[in-house]
Amino acid sequence: MSQAQTTIVADSVSIEKAAPKPKTAAGKHKDKASINGTFITLLGIVILFSGWALAVKYLAIPSYILPTPAAVWNALWSGIAVSPASPLGYYLPLWGTLKNAAIGLAIGSGLGLVLGSLMAESRMIEKLLMPYAFALQSLPKVAIAPLVVIWFGFGDGSKIAISALLAFFPMLINSFTGLRAVEPERIDLMRSLSASRFETYRIVKLPNAAPYIFAGLDMAVVYALLGTIVAEFLGAQQGMGVVITQAQAVTDVAGVFAALVILGAMGILLHGIVRGLEAKIVHWGDRGRK
Amino acid sequence: MAALAQIHPIADARPQAPRDLITIRGLDKTYAAGSVHALSNIDLDIKDGEFVCVVGPSGCGKSTLLRILAGLDDYDTGEAALDGKAITGPSRDVGVVFQAANLLPWLTVRENVALPLRVGGKQTGQAEDIDRLLDVAGLKDFGERYPYELSGGMQQRAGICRALVRSPRVLLMDEPFGALDALTRERMNLELQRIWQASRKTVMLITHSISEAIFLADRVVVMSARPGRVIRELEVPIPRPRSNDTIISHPAYPELAKEIRGLLNAQGDE
Repeated sequence: MSQAQTTIVADSVSIEKAAPKPKTAAGKHKDKASINGTFITLLGIVILFSGWALAVKYLAIPSYILPTPAAVWNALWSGIAVSPASPLGYYLPLWGTLKNAAIGLAIGSGLGLVLGSLMAESRMIEKLLMPYAFALQSLPKVAIAPLVVIWFGFGDGSKIAISALLAFFPMLINSFTGLRAVEPERIDLMRSLSASRFETYRIVKLPNAAPYIFAGLDMAVVYALLGTIVAEFLGAQQGMGVVITQAQAVTDVAGVFAALVILGAMGILLHGIVRGLEAKIVHWGDRGRK
Repeated sequence: MAALAQIHPIADARPQAPRDLITIRGLDKTYAAGSVHALSNIDLDIKDGEFVCVVGPSGCGKSTLLRILAGLDDYDTGEAALDGKAITGPSRDVGVVFQAANLLPWLTVRENVALPLRVGGKQTGQAEDIDRLLDVAGLKDFGERYPYELSGGMQQRAGICRALVRSPRVLLMDEPFGALDALTRERMNLELQRIWQASRKTVMLITHSISEAIFLADRVVVMSARPGRVIRELEVPIPRPRSNDTIISHPAYPELAKEIRGLLNAQGDE
């Protein structure tokens, strides 16, 4: 399912990006490689969508298996071109999903950072917690979701809890790894200045680990969204997961596809936000490494 | 330069026969549970205000010696004392200049230089004026830049400023210019001499370069291959300020260079 989702979303973005290009690039002979590249991308999209449309039509694939691109577009548009307060639009469920995912992300990644830091600072805590971290890490965490629903109910609590659980691990592992990856020369510097442990953590180790922490956050954002959706599948009042299950219930496959496109777009947007934040905060980039 | 001399009028008030600031007696150090003998029976005294360069083959324990004096490594037997007090850990009286500058890339040059004033508990004792230090090091206009915007030579000058900012009595420098090209290195030697003459710190500098050692040092200490021992101490009778041109033409230079090279070659490697 997630495979189909990413494929479709990647293509729809390429369409937006690539569409204006031929106009400006048409008369120019330089940049030939990039024109060819754009042309091939465009060609691929045209073949994909026309192949999709033709297959549905001539192979007589029923719309409850695979809807036509036009049907997906119509479903998408009917969810977008409504008042933001309309119960038929994507806005209210999307807001509900994003809110729970964001709270889960904050709790999970915050806990991951704190525990990762404690493990990186203390061998004792590392020895104490690492076995559980590995055990939980190797467990398919989505399988815990039904249990979490029993504990937290069908309200926002279970959505937030599963999001937090999924967002926790990438942050735990990445902050732990990043904090341990500090160059010994930098620790020597702080030791030579008689810096306290917390000063060394705050001034050297934490900034040093920032690229790792952002990579963890990048994963955690997607996982938090995934966690909320999975929890919503199990039962919820509102959310994109509900939109998908409702469409599925009436075999509105075009509606399911459209919701997946929205979720994929959200994933790309959130990824972009994390990358943008990282570029701004970790301004030294790779130049911090020896 | 004048600025630093003003902060430290001790340059004029030095006693006739400076006493030993650093004393090392029978120092022994082994690594890896005794399997690597790094230093063997080191005896070395460094006078207050003296500039000592230590040369020796790779892996002879020069850096270990420096780390012990900086309080970063411990030692097995013997004594290492600063101003009569045994060295048990890092001290405010010691500034360390690391190989390859070792600036923190997320801090500006000014923040890097000011770092020693921010950490290590309550600050007692003298602190240098950061603007003056940056000015002396030719970094006046680069305080708000980040280290990666600076050349290697400028980065290492900032590293020296950082080591000086707590106004330590001793400066320990571990191959500070090893990563720089030959021309920049000569210029840095000149600048270091200038900064040292203005501040009159006690300096121990570790280097691989014989010419750098002779240029900078009052006394060159030659160490043996592992386990490191002091095999010769050579006074450099060349008057200051020295310049890269005049030093080669001084009659003592070729003799010193030849003797040091001979001692190092006798150690095999290098």
